[in-house]
Amino acid sequence: MTFHARRSLSLIAGTVALLTVAAACSSDDPSSPTGESGATGGDLTVAGPIPIENLDPHGAASLDAGTQLAARAIFSQLVVSNGPGEFEGELAESWEPNADASVWTFTLREGVEFSDGTPVTATDVVASFDRVMAGEGPLAGNFGGYTVAAPDETTVVFTSPTPDAAFLGKISSFFVTPQAAADEGFFQDPIGSGPFVVESFEAGASLQLVPNPGYWDGEPTLDTLEFQSIPEVAARMTALQTGEVDVTWSMPDDQIAALKSDTNLTVENVPSPGVMTMWMNASTPALADPAVRRALWQAVDFEAIIGSLYPETGSAADSPISPAVLGYAPQEPVQYDPDAAKAALDAAGFDYENTVIRWQFSQANFRNFVDAVVSDLAEIGVTVEPLEKEQAVFLDDLLALNWDMNLQQLGSQGFDAATNLGRLYTCEANRMGYCNEELDQILAQAGSTSDTAQREELYAQAIDIIWNDAVGMYPMFVEQPYAWRTSVEGFSPVPDGLPYFDEVAVSGD
Amino acid sequence: MTYFIAKRLAIGLLTIWGVVTAVFVVVRLAPGDQATVALGPDASAAEIEALRHTLGLDRPVILQYLSYLGDVVRLDFGESYRFGRPAMDQVLERFPATVQLTLAATTIAILAGLVLGVLAGKNPGSLLDRAVSTVTLALQALPPFWVGIMFILIFALQLQVLPSAGGGSFENLVLPAATLSIPFTALVARMTRSGVAETMSEAFVQTARSKGLTETQVLSGHVLKNSLIPVVTVVGLQVGTLLGGAVIIETVFAWPGLGSLLVGAVGNRDYAVVQAATVLIAVCVIVLNLAADIVNAKLDPRIRLEARR
Repeated sequence: MTFHARRSLSLIAGTVALLTVAAACSSDDPSSPTGESGATGGDLTVAGPIPIENLDPHGAASLDAGTQLAARAIFSQLVVSNGPGEFEGELAESWEPNADASVWTFTLREGVEFSDGTPVTATDVVASFDRVMAGEGPLAGNFGGYTVAAPDETTVVFTSPTPDAAFLGKISSFFVTPQAAADEGFFQDPIGSGPFVVESFEAGASLQLVPNPGYWDGEPTLDTLEFQSIPEVAARMTALQTGEVDVTWSMPDDQIAALKSDTNLTVENVPSPGVMTMWMNASTPALADPAVRRALWQAVDFEAIIGSLYPETGSAADSPISPAVLGYAPQEPVQYDPDAAKAALDAAGFDYENTVIRWQFSQANFRNFVDAVVSDLAEIGVTVEPLEKEQAVFLDDLLALNWDMNLQQLGSQGFDAATNLGRLYTCEANRMGYCNEELDQILAQAGSTSDTAQREELYAQAIDIIWNDAVGMYPMFVEQPYAWRTSVEGFSPVPDGLPYFDEVAVSGD
Repeated sequence: MTYFIAKRLAIGLLTIWGVVTAVFVVVRLAPGDQATVALGPDASAAEIEALRHTLGLDRPVILQYLSYLGDVVRLDFGESYRFGRPAMDQVLERFPATVQLTLAATTIAILAGLVLGVLAGKNPGSLLDRAVSTVTLALQALPPFWVGIMFILIFALQLQVLPSAGGGSFENLVLPAATLSIPFTALVARMTRSGVAETMSEAFVQTARSKGLTETQVLSGHVLKNSLIPVVTVVGLQVGTLLGGAVIIETVFAWPGLGSLLVGAVGNRDYAVVQAATVLIAVCVIVLNLAADIVNAKLDPRIRLEARR
């Protein structure tokens, strides 16, 4: 690892204006590498919030943020999702669903090669997909019952037993590898068709990459790209300020102000699919009545809590899914009114004496938030017992409905409501003890049409039910903060916290 | 001496079996398994069940234990589901970094601790003695986590003379090794001090002095050798503690060692990695304790005579 001293201020002036130009270049246009921005090459060191432990995008860690981040540099997807309902072809040049969105046909881009020079064919796509399904990892869970076929070398057909309108969103987490991926040890030194190739990999510690000269979208300008793991937040922030690290993201709110005052850094937030989600278990007798759940929601002054704990990255939510997700529909915000809440609880016959709401969460950084909510509810006489659990215990209890209230930051994979609402809110999923057949029908319908406008309309109806039945409290939309050194050019923050680096350059290196 | 070593070795093997079994039981007693963690919050119960079956986690625990024991005897610790490669490969990849860190910290601690301890102990009650005692007490009380962050703030952020995080170079090693060595240095200093102070008042020291030996000759030839026995034992025992302390220090400094690997593996219920790493650590501690016993037996004939009885 190189140890950079603070870079001189004079270099910054000329680069800021260019940054927007480079960021605006479409990754689809092979004639627009960042070379235009004036900076060439450079060594970029990146430290995200999650370590990269496994380069295999098909197996156990397939949906792990670290694995997905690395995969975006090393491998290629069929399509990339750019925002709600927006997709861009990568390996796929075009795609077409059938009428009920159960058969998806992709035509592959011609002339794309793996970094060892062999062409990327439909057979590789099929083999990769079969490998995902055989691995039974978290990605496979998205494609239950799917089959895939390659009628010719440039066509791939995915067939689902049931209509699946959200397929594009889900398949955007799928990466194509050579068929040799099944060989032992392949992912220690993998071959892909992405913008970078692996120079060395130490699982959980560092990943060193160099540009892929044969990348179909133009060779990246960087000389080297290194992903480093720095788990401790304070150390990561320091490394950014000393210049040991050039780019990071997902900084906690209390660190952002200090970073903003550092003139060597650019700090920027982008809306993310994340929503602070507090499900209330409707199978808990005390919480079975929607009026009770609404009253509890009303009793918490979320505006004040967000203002003091998440001044940089939080904003009041008005929907269970974020505006960055297809299907978002704004609702009437729930106003803080402890008196009305108390009256509603009284009217519903809420048993203040004998009810203890067990509230589970697993992330230490939620503690202050949890404490604030607990004290607001205590104000109106409701007892909540916060239970911070280790991740594995939390997940076990989550599925077993062994909680009364649950706290998670929930995203929507592929920026599509289907992966959040469609997957978690059905009677069959039974995620929060809530079952509503009308909602089930709407969600099923929304998942089975490829007409985007109709889907948006149906999700709006679903959100209306979820919001008014107060299946959970949905207090806050979460923004994704990024910070990078001003010597870094062409970096564009992305909503899902898995940025690309093929158009980035570093000046003054 | 051979009997002494053979006996210790047998106890060591028995201890390793105990560790192997205890780790197997403990990681399985914890709620949630690798199938739950791997599939995350979106998974359905059926998907988790299917993965559990594939991973063999739905087999009776006693069968899992027996096949695991059989594998361990053949030094096969299984595949890490999380890392997608043999668990021991992953552990051995990280091990050298931890050894490097621990050795560096031990070296600093022994050198600094001995010097401080002798300086303080040769004149008990002197100003120097009291100064050393106060400082070492304070050092022992400082939480390493906090010291690490302070070092980063001072040397990496303010002075910019050393890197704040990462591994690989000598510069990277300085701060974590220094942080890790602090409580250990204090301990060695205090042990040495009391040993030296006690030995100084022994009759044979008087004899040595009356033979006309210089103070340095008395210290190095007579006092130090006799005060070292408890120090050696403590060093042997403490290296094990250091490996534990390295877990925290490695996380603070992003040092790519065994500690950070183990913490992550426990969280992910990566049984294979947890088992491989703990067995390796246990073997290290046992070997080091054995080494300390042997060194002590060399230093003090009473110890090896006692073992024969």
